[in-house]
Parts: sequence; structure tokens; C-alpha cells
Amino acid sequence: MKTCIITGASQGIGRAAAVRLSQEPDIQNFVLLARSASGLEGTVAEMNREGKNIKALPTDLSDIDAIEPLIKAVYEEFGSIDLLLNIAGYAEPAALLDTTNDNIRTTYFINVFATVVITRECVKYMRNHPSKILNVASTAGVTPRPGWLAYASSKAAMVSMGETLTQELAEYGIKVYTISPGRCATELRRKLAPEEDPTTIMQPEHVADVIATLIHDDETCLDGQNLVVRQLPAPKK
Amino acid sequence: MKNGMVILAGGIGKRMNKPIPKQFLILAGKPIIVHVLEKVEQLTDVERVVITCPAEYVAQTQTLLEHRNLAGRFCCIEGGQTRQESVYKGMLELGECENVVIHEAVRPFVTVAEFRVLIDSEYDNVIYGSRIPFTVLAGHEYVEDTLERSRLVNVQLPQKFNAGQLKAAHDSARAEGRDDFTEDASLLFHYQRSQIRILEGSERNIKITEPTDLIIGEAIYNEYILGRAQD
Repeated sequence: MKTCIITGASQGIGRAAAVRLSQEPDIQNFVLLARSASGLEGTVAEMNREGKNIKALPTDLSDIDAIEPLIKAVYEEFGSIDLLLNIAGYAEPAALLDTTNDNIRTTYFINVFATVVITRECVKYMRNHPSKILNVASTAGVTPRPGWLAYASSKAAMVSMGETLTQELAEYGIKVYTISPGRCATELRRKLAPEEDPTTIMQPEHVADVIATLIHDDETCLDGQNLVVRQLPAPKK
Repeated sequence: MKNGMVILAGGIGKRMNKPIPKQFLILAGKPIIVHVLEKVEQLTDVERVVITCPAEYVAQTQTLLEHRNLAGRFCCIEGGQTRQESVYKGMLELGECENVVIHEAVRPFVTVAEFRVLIDSEYDNVIYGSRIPFTVLAGHEYVEDTLERSRLVNVQLPQKFNAGQLKAAHDSARAEGRDDFTEDASLLFHYQRSQIRILEGSERNIKITEPTDLIIGEAIYNEYILGRAQD
């Protein structure tokens, strides 16, 4: 039976992934991390709870020093860590000259530093058995995005991180996936593009289906590459 | 204690021409010594592992252990002035044990299976050796003698010895003031005439000594550890 840690599980893709994976019979333990306690409660309410241990831990991942004891406690409680989904993300689009120190700091702490630290701590317990790590980057990390410097460059860092760790962790049987969703109807997207009709773009559940496919034991060939996940708009008639 | 291990990490990076000892150089994504530690970690019946290294690198080695949750069974101490003295200090630190396995931090491609064969061997003293595929002559500036290649063995680590016999041999060497043994099978044979079984070593268990070995090491890692040649 597997233990799965999901960051950013209070909304959007993180919530959809938790809900989707709770249908998987071989994942018994879920650890959901996000800042919002009420958001986590909402996620738990939507999950399949039958036969599952679900631990919702309101956590500020930008406090990277708190991650080591947190992961140690998870391991001690469940006895293994098998799946890590790094989905938490922060975006505050701004032109270079408007990008404050706080913006760049928060963006990198959540999107990059916390991802590195939580991955490092989990690998301490994953490296003796086959495990999987999945990072959610963004198409903003692989194409130029004027006005999104902090976010786009932090997501580029995640893409690079995935490529490096795929090779570095291969010896341990740990597979590392990076997916880069395009436009997706998350709360974040609603904030960034309020004029957009969210029903016309990719839904978090579509991304969650891709995540479920990748972290399934049957998937053995796709790690190491940045997989762009996008839904093309319906053709105009 | 039945099984203890001494890992020699005495390098100071002279031949590599690098500012850090070769056991800390990155090979295939991690320090060379870590490749060894991760194999030894899987030998649960080796109850204690002592790493010997220069005093100035003890803390750095200890940190590597802590980062991998290895600090309990493994420890690091200051080695001696010579390889021979480092083995001796390692054995003293191990304390009473029946068998001592000796390995080098810069032979990263040893396998768990190779350790297992040694530890499970019925022989008290057992080493790996491989045939020498080239001609070896005696001499320095001029040839002084020929050597019969078929009678020679290229000695590889790891090795397993009866700890009592090896300790007695080291004590004899120290009593004679000798500190020039560069390997323990020769020391044991010299003083104890013990029977030492030689097993066939493996081509890939190379010692990382020269800069070229790092390049060869990356190829060995890709081919044998990851099992994938470059696509």
C-alpha cells in the first residue's frame, strides 16, 4: 500500500489530483499540504475516503525549515513515502520593473525552494524502493512570457530540476515526471484572466487524469521529459 | 560482533590534481564515496562500518552520512599516516569482531553481490583478484627482471579477513617497525602465512585514481548501473 504526498492540495489541479487518486486502490495513505485549512477540508470532502487514511495538514511551504520534521513525521506514521506530487504554485504576474523583492521571494520559495527541499526530504525515505515524483511546472516555463518573469522563470527551474533529478535518482528506481499544463480552469487562472470563460478551457480534472496515468505502476517509459498538457480549443464552426 | 567493515577514504586529491580528495568528487551525480556507502547500507549483517579519512575531512564525511540517515551504523574517524595504519586504526575502532571487510571509498562500482559472496564465503580470508592482461616487468630506469604474468594477480578490493588473524599480522608489522604494506592480503600472508582464497574479480570494479577514470566511470555507471547506453 502506498503513501502519497500532494502539495497545493486545497484547490485547482492539486485538489483534482487528490480526488482522482483517491479512486486508486493501491494508494492507501494521503498527506495533503496547503496553506488553506478550509480548502483542504473541501478536498477531503470530495475524495473517496473508504479504506483511506487522509491527513490534511495546513502548511506554509515557504517555511522551508519546517519541511524536514514534517516529512520525517509522515514517514514515521505511515512507514513509507511512495509518491510525491509537487503541485503547489504561486503566481503574481508583473513586468520586470514592477516585480518587487517580496514577489520574487515568495514565488521562488513556493515554486522552487520548497519543491527542492520537500523532494530532498522525501528521497531520503524513497531511495530504497521504486517510487515516483511528479512536478507540475507550466507552459510559462518553456515559452517567453513578458510580464510573468518571476513565475515563468521559476517554472523553468522546475523543468530543469525534473530533467536533472530523473538522471540523478534513476539508480534508486525513483521516476521523476514534469508536466506543464497550459491554460487550465483553476482559481489562479480565474484571477489572471477574469474575462475568460472557464468552461472553454482545460479543466483540472483533465490534468488529474494525466497525473494518474503517469504515476500508475504501468507507466515506465515517460519520465525525464517535460510533458506539455494542453487541450486545444474546439474548432470554430 | 560477527562482521565489521573498514572503508579507506584516505585520498587527498594529489593524483587527480584537484583541490578536494577524490572520494568527494562527483561521479554520476553524487560523491564517489556515496556510491560505496549506498551499497554497504544494504548489507544489514555488517554491524559496524568505520570510515577512515584525513582529519580535515572527518566532518564532511560525517555530514554525508547524516544526509542519508546512515549516521548510526556508520562512523568516520581520522586515519593514519599510511594506508596500513589507517586499516589498523579502523580495526581498533571496530573493536571485537569475527570478520573484517576492507574496502576503498574510490571503488564505487563494487556490487552488493560481490560483498555478499565475500561475507558468505566459507573461507576466513578471501579476496578478489583479476588476471593481468598486460606484461609486467621489474625495474625502474632499466629492465631488471621478467615476471611470469600467469603467476600474478591484480588485487581488487573488497576483501574479507579473519579479524583476529589480521590484527595479529598488523601487530607483528608494527613491532618490526614496518608500515609499507599497501594492501592487507600481502601483510597477512607475510606474517601469518594464512590461507587466502582468491576469487575472480570484475572488470568494472575499477579504482578511481586518475582523471581519465572519472570519464570511464561515467560510462560504467550508465552501462552497468543504469543499464542504458546513450540513446
